[in-house]
Amino acid sequence: MKLQDPRPGKWQLFRIWAAIGLQSFGGGASTTFLIQRAFIEKHKWLSIEEFSYLWNLCILTPGINLVALTVLIGKKLGGTWGIAISLAGMLLPSATITCLLAAIFIQIENIAAVQAIFRGVIPATGGILLVVGLNFALPLIRKGYKEGFFFLIVSGVLTIACALAVIFLKLSVIIVILGAAFLGTLFFSSRSAPPLHEEEQGEPQ
Amino acid sequence: MIDPFIYFLLFLKASLFSTGGFSNLPSLHQDLIASGWAKEADFGHSIAIGQISPGPNGLWVISLGYLTYGLPGALLALIAITLPALLVLVVSAGYARIEHQSWVQGAMRGVSLAVVGLLLAVVWTILHQPGVDWKGTLIAGGAFGLALSRKVNILIILGLAGLAGYLLYR
Repeated sequence: MKLQDPRPGKWQLFRIWAAIGLQSFGGGASTTFLIQRAFIEKHKWLSIEEFSYLWNLCILTPGINLVALTVLIGKKLGGTWGIAISLAGMLLPSATITCLLAAIFIQIENIAAVQAIFRGVIPATGGILLVVGLNFALPLIRKGYKEGFFFLIVSGVLTIACALAVIFLKLSVIIVILGAAFLGTLFFSSRSAPPLHEEEQGEPQ
Repeated sequence: MIDPFIYFLLFLKASLFSTGGFSNLPSLHQDLIASGWAKEADFGHSIAIGQISPGPNGLWVISLGYLTYGLPGALLALIAITLPALLVLVVSAGYARIEHQSWVQGAMRGVSLAVVGLLLAVVWTILHQPGVDWKGTLIAGGAFGLALSRKVNILIILGLAGLAGYLLYR
């Protein structure tokens, strides 16, 4: 995948991450959305396939996936310095505001208007998260479509089964991911596409 | 009296044995209630603050740190959620060695599909919280459409949703 923009400077990288951290109200949904928009769509430093690859690594890592993703993107764009700058940009401004809000929250939590606003904001985060999921799903749908109907159906069933397993069977996330990895090995191994890792792939989109 | 070192270790442990922003909750809940360092209400408050404050969902832990132990608590919580994330470098290096095996490709594709499914599950959970009625579902649909168009800033979407909530539920 060809990078279309030059690598960011340190200050630029910090500003981008700070903007993502500060703008991402409503939790992880909007954060992922903003990261996709900034690094894939606006600056074209990453492709969506690369992004998915990095994201999968984060899923396999303990802790907050988005912080791990910050580490990986930071490393890719600026090495060790990139990691430090990206983490600082992502976490410090937003953590500071979280502290401030924690202090303010105690004062206003019982006001009816505040509760009403929350009742509007919370479902909106659900809608935004659905777009994030769609962004993740598109390359997989395309791949399945190319391989034929059977693989498209298997992909769809596996996705829905994972959702249902968490919602209704209350299975732990880790078990669901391991199960999907196992089923993926069974169904997709022979059909494996070339690695998503950009160093191995010179071809343009 | 809070022992800062033990307090930090409890947060670190919760973070190390979790995936995603909220899965460290049960562990922290158990430990901090047992030690008497947090009240039941602190958890509800922290999660609510996490919803409205900027940054990843996982930063709710920072408000938990603040509510239970002030600024030192917030700082210790921040460190405790940052350190495990660096393990991704180890995962990344290990994965680079095996990624060319065809079973790894298949497995990762399964994981990618699971991620989509898990996101759907979170959407479902959000839309089935108490307080989300059919009007809330409409707000979710509107936010989905606006976000899908890629033309509207996320803050504007959430601002509109907050305004809608204010007008509908006040």
